Amino acid sequence: MLNQGYVGHSLPATDPVEITVDAVAAFCEALGQSGGQGVPATFLISVTLPAADALINDPEFGLDFSRVLHREQKFTYRRPLKIGDVVTCTVTVESIKVVAGNELLTLRNEVHDADGSAVASVTTTLFVAAEPAEDTA
Amino acid sequence: MNTGDELFRNEYAIRRSDLVAYAHAGGDHNPIHLDDEAARAAGLPGVIAHGMYTMGLAARAVAEWAGTPDRITDLTARFAKPVVVPADGAATVIVVGTVRKIAESGDIDITMTVTCGSDKVLAPARATVTA
Repeated sequence: MLNQGYVGHSLPATDPVEITVDAVAAFCEALGQSGGQGVPATFLISVTLPAADALINDPEFGLDFSRVLHREQKFTYRRPLKIGDVVTCTVTVESIKVVAGNELLTLRNEVHDADGSAVASVTTTLFVAAEPAEDTA
Repeated sequence: MNTGDELFRNEYAIRRSDLVAYAHAGGDHNPIHLDDEAARAAGLPGVIAHGMYTMGLAARAVAEWAGTPDRITDLTARFAKPVVVPADGAATVIVVGTVRKIAESGDIDITMTVTCGSDKVLAPARATVTA
């Protein structure tokens, strides 16, 4: 089970990440989309997912990523993300809900630009399957 | 434009090679999107698309309709059913966007129905596009 004591806990802001033309082009190409029309609305996931690594790798938190499925995803933009933007992410454990022995973990990621202005809020909900029952036979 | 109007209807093919490219570009290397054995070990019938791949296609459909992704201010999806991608050929995903609500500001709330075969794979999925 996840450590409920982490609810409300935030990680330190990540190191700055630049939104590069190459990273956006590779993302667009994977989705079969022509580049050059702006940054896709889901591109930020490639920045926000690694931002939670410290949490995923924290044994005190207790997240086994092999039992995780992505359940819900939300992006809210304060302004469009642009190539050349340099952003930082601050991850907060928003909630941990237990549903029939499984858990729903919601992480909120606040994305800021180099001036400290808010760019986007990215919320990821993960379904964490219950640990398999011990074989007592 | 009125509530309930269909704005776009797009069909996309997803191949295993797309998932390999997406794993690199999106930084999600979970093996259930790349390897049948890993997918079956996780209780799935076979390799499934990243939920974010399918959501990415939904966002692509909105951006192509709006002319630019920069007009999308909100994008939400729940991953309701997996999209199983065969080793040969492709899975077909259909994205249909309809008007949910038009705000006084002119901002448009769009509901997307995203299906693969008879399954609604994203439910619900919504976007807000600025006027």
